[in-house]
Amino acid sequence: MNSASTRFVPTRRMGLYDQMLQMDMWGDFKGNNCFDISPSMTLDVSGKQDNESENTSHKTIEPSYKYDEESSKPADKVRRRLAQNREAARKSRLRKKAYVQQLENSKLRLIQIEQEIERSRQQGVCLDTNLLRSSETKNPGIATFEIEYGQWVEEQNRQISELKNAVNCGIGEVELRRFVDSGMRHYFNLFKMKQSAAKADAFYIMSGTWKTCAERLFFWIGGFRPSEFLKVVAPNLEPLEEQQRVDVCNLTQSCQQAEDSLSQGMLKLHQIVSETIADGLLDGEGNYLSHIGDAREKLEALMRFVGQADHLRGETLQQICRILTTRKTALALLALGEYLQRLRALSSLWSSRPSTSTG
Amino acid sequence: MQQALPYKDWFAASASSSAGGTRGSSNPPPGVNEYASVSMMVSENAVIVFARKDCCMCHVVKLLLHGHGVNPTVFDVDEANEDDVVNELSRIIGVDGSGNATRPQFPAVFVGGEIFGGLEEVMGAHISGELVPRLREAGALWL
Repeated sequence: MNSASTRFVPTRRMGLYDQMLQMDMWGDFKGNNCFDISPSMTLDVSGKQDNESENTSHKTIEPSYKYDEESSKPADKVRRRLAQNREAARKSRLRKKAYVQQLENSKLRLIQIEQEIERSRQQGVCLDTNLLRSSETKNPGIATFEIEYGQWVEEQNRQISELKNAVNCGIGEVELRRFVDSGMRHYFNLFKMKQSAAKADAFYIMSGTWKTCAERLFFWIGGFRPSEFLKVVAPNLEPLEEQQRVDVCNLTQSCQQAEDSLSQGMLKLHQIVSETIADGLLDGEGNYLSHIGDAREKLEALMRFVGQADHLRGETLQQICRILTTRKTALALLALGEYLQRLRALSSLWSSRPSTSTG
Repeated sequence: MQQALPYKDWFAASASSSAGGTRGSSNPPPGVNEYASVSMMVSENAVIVFARKDCCMCHVVKLLLHGHGVNPTVFDVDEANEDDVVNELSRIIGVDGSGNATRPQFPAVFVGGEIFGGLEEVMGAHISGELVPRLREAGALWL
């Protein structure tokens, strides 16, 4: 086997990013799907910080992971545990914030409804209670995701500015590597968030309503297309060494193949769900509930598709790191970040365009 | 939908060429024959995918492999034989000594008689460029 070929990587250690993806999975699943507010926890609207110890009940049970198979000092383990605790505490605070916000919204809505009822009663109007039902009742997992995603975008913008400075100032490779690593971690955090949200409501993630409209134009199974990312970024990486150029080209092709397979899989899911629902149409029995139930089970696959698509995005990012130098990888991340910023700006521009008057 | 082949015919056919078309499960009576067939399928086929019928993820795996010119053997798992198959696969995986203690999930891909993983592993190897060498090693590719 020709070891000079950079395409063949003999062993693929589970990268740091994969570990982060696995780490809090169980904890997140538990945390995002139920609000186990213990009686002792009071809902403090003033936003007082949680006591760290209060959150030990939310602490994740981490599976022992292979990353520290090589010898790691106890100090590292302590630091890591502290970091995980901080992360768990942060998530707990976010969930609490989302819950409180929901309660506040519901409270306001109730007051509005009561006022309307009173007003209408005085006017002797017949009420259609359906119209008063709030359309704001949201899945708590989704409410949390929306808050977290907003924060994610803000952090992303900050990181892009920092990265731009770092690249233009010509800082050393080691420093640049740190920026690249935190940029990658940031994307993997997003994948983790999306996984939790998809468990709560896969349709929500698949709909793309959480993204801006211009981003939605390029939407593919819950996010950006990896091959699209490569096509946008590649021209900005020149000059590249011949081998690197070939590798990027091959990677783009592999991405497209993988994307096509997943897209075909989605079509198959459409077909299966459609057949399940349509089974026995016009039979006249009126007993279609079991079919609906079956179809609902099959829709669980949506969540897996989001996961697979994100996994593909993550693998592509990691492969870019392997193929390119640190500096070129930094440029790639910078180009992607700026491209997404421009898409968001386009969306804002579109949303604020004056509405055409009729007549 | 494919016809399920009788056990004997199917086994003889698969033994002759591992790169043949996809075949349905034979659903032999549970017992020693079932275990034997799973192990034999794993060792006799260069690439084999164990998946539930009509599983979309299995479809994706098949397409990925087709893209490389590989036509994997597919073992259809249904409710009748699922437990037996899972037990047998767990046994095979355990024997490999990979230290993997979790029950296999479907789709489960075996390359060259060894567990390769699920869709994620195949996808990851496809992107990183490791998939083709592994397929070649297992004799699934001749280029």
